[in-house]
Amino acid sequence: MHAIEMSNLTKFYDTLCAVDDLTLSINNEIFALLGPNGSGKTTTVLMLTTLLHPTGGNAMVCGNDIISQAEEVRKCISYVPQDMAVDIKLTGRENVRFFADLYGVPDAKDRVDEVLEVMELTDRADDLIKTYSGGMRRRLELAQALVHEPNVLFLDEPTIGLDVAARKKIWEHIRDLRKKGMTIFVTTHYMDEADQFCDRVGIISRGRIAALGSPSELKARLMKDVITVRVDGECAPPPLDGVAYVGRTGDELSFTAENGSETLPVLAGSLARTGATIRAMSLREPTLDDVFLQAVGQQEEPHGFEDGKFRIMLRRRK
Amino acid sequence: MKGILTYMKRDFLKWYRGRVAVVSALIMPAAWLIFVGLALPVQFTGNYLDFITPGILVMTMLSAGLSGGALLMFDKILGFLNKFLALPTPRSSILVGKILFITGRGLIQTTIILFIALLIGATLMSPVQYLLTYVVLFLFGVLISAFATTIALYLDDHDSYSAFSTMISMPLFFTSSALMPYEVMPAWLATLARLNPLSFAIDAVREIGSGVIPSLPVILLVVISAVILGICMSVFRRVTI
Repeated sequence: MHAIEMSNLTKFYDTLCAVDDLTLSINNEIFALLGPNGSGKTTTVLMLTTLLHPTGGNAMVCGNDIISQAEEVRKCISYVPQDMAVDIKLTGRENVRFFADLYGVPDAKDRVDEVLEVMELTDRADDLIKTYSGGMRRRLELAQALVHEPNVLFLDEPTIGLDVAARKKIWEHIRDLRKKGMTIFVTTHYMDEADQFCDRVGIISRGRIAALGSPSELKARLMKDVITVRVDGECAPPPLDGVAYVGRTGDELSFTAENGSETLPVLAGSLARTGATIRAMSLREPTLDDVFLQAVGQQEEPHGFEDGKFRIMLRRRK
Repeated sequence: MKGILTYMKRDFLKWYRGRVAVVSALIMPAAWLIFVGLALPVQFTGNYLDFITPGILVMTMLSAGLSGGALLMFDKILGFLNKFLALPTPRSSILVGKILFITGRGLIQTTIILFIALLIGATLMSPVQYLLTYVVLFLFGVLISAFATTIALYLDDHDSYSAFSTMISMPLFFTSSALMPYEVMPAWLATLARLNPLSFAIDAVREIGSGVIPSLPVILLVVISAVILGICMSVFRRVTI
C-alpha cells in the first residue's frame, strides 16, 4: 500500500480545469509537486487533505478514501498551508499544545516539549509568537503538524518568504522526518530547492504532470550541456545535428547539446546566418529549470490579465 | 467535546490578551443606557430605564454575536480555518466552540451593562430573576452567534462581512420591542416587531422583570435556536473551501 495513491484525480472550477486526470503514487519519500502559480498544485493538496471534493477520479491516503473516509484520512495526515497561520498572541508552547489537544494526543505536555525540542524552539517556547521570526514561525507550524506523529505530511510552499538560512534549516528538518519513515508531499516553485532536497519531483503544468522522476534522472534525460544565447529580435532556431532547441524566455534561447564547447561556434554561426544579433552565449550543466522549460514546453510570452487564473488565486486566498 | 473546549479556550485567551476590545465593545450599549435610557421623555412608563434595560441587554448580545462572526472570518482569511478543517476533530466543534466563546463573552458584557443599569437607577431583581435573564440571553446568544458564524463561513472577505453585520444590526434593533411597547408603536411596526426574534428575547427578559415566567417567548427562542443550530452544524460538517 502506498501512502498516497491518486487515480484520475480531476478538479474543475466551473469550466476551468485546475487538475486534469492526475494519476500518481507516492510512498515514504519527499515528493515535490513543481509548477508555476496557478498550475494546480494547491488544488491537488486541498483535495488530498479532504478540504475540497474532486470533480472526478479519486485518491487514497494511508489506505483511506479521501471522499468516503475523510475523517480517517485526517487522522493520519498533517497539513501546513502556505499562509503561516500561528496565533501571535499566544506563546509557542500554547500554539503547539492547542494542536495537541485538538488531535487528542496522549501525554500532551511531554509530546509538546518533545516536538519543540526537535524544531529547536525550546528556549523560546514561552515567548509570544509576535517576537518570532518568519523561520521560527514556520518551524513552529511544523512542530504543530508533527505533534500527533502523522504518516503523511503535506507542506504547501514551506519555504516561501524565508531567507536562505531559514530555508536550509526547514529542508534539513523535512529530511530528518523522511528518515523516520514519514511521507512528505511538498509543493514549491523553487526549482533549486526541489533539485537539492527532494527524492522525486513531478512537474505540473495546467493541471497535468509534464515530467516525473528523481531530479538527477530528469536532468539526465536532457542532453549533456545547456547553451543559452541572448539575441536581439526575432529569430528562428536553426536545425543542427546534436543540438536540440529547448525554449525561449524573453530574449534568451536555450539549447541542449551533446558536446557543448564544440557546438558553441557552430551554433553561433548558424544563428548569425538567420539574421539574429547574438549578444551573449553561455554554457553550463543542466538544472531542473531546463527540465521544467522542456517539459512545460515553450514558455508563453507573458500574457495579459487572465480572469480564470485570477479566480484561482482568489480562491486559494480564501 | 475536548475539541469544543480547546477551540473556546483559544478564543478566550486571545480575547483576554487583546484587552482594548474588552472595554470598547461596552461603550455603545452603555451610551444607549445612559443617553437614551435616562434622557428620553416618555409617557408610557414611570421608569424608562427599567423598560429599556432588557432591550439594551439583548442589543449587547446582538452586537457581541455579530462582531463574533468576524472571528471566523479572520480564521478563514488568515489560513487557520484550512488547518482546522484538515484536523480529525469533528468540524462542528469549530462552530460550537465559537458559539460558546461568543455567547460567553456576550454574557460577561451584559453583566457589566446590568451593573451600570443598577448604578444609574434600575430596579434590583431577585437572584432567580437574574438567573432566568441569563438563560434567555444565553439562548439568544446561541441563535445569533450560530447565524453570524455560518454567514461568515460563506462570505468572501471581511468587508462583505462587516457590511452584512451593519446592514442587519440597526434594522433588527429598531424593529424590535427594545425602545417602546407594542401598544404605542404604529401598527406596521408592531407587526414587524412581533415577528422579530430580538423581541422574543426582549419580551422574555421584560416578563421576568415583572415577575412572570415567560413561557411563550422562551419556547419560541428555543425552537428557533435549535433549528438554526441544526442547520449551521450540518453546514459546517459538509463544508469544503
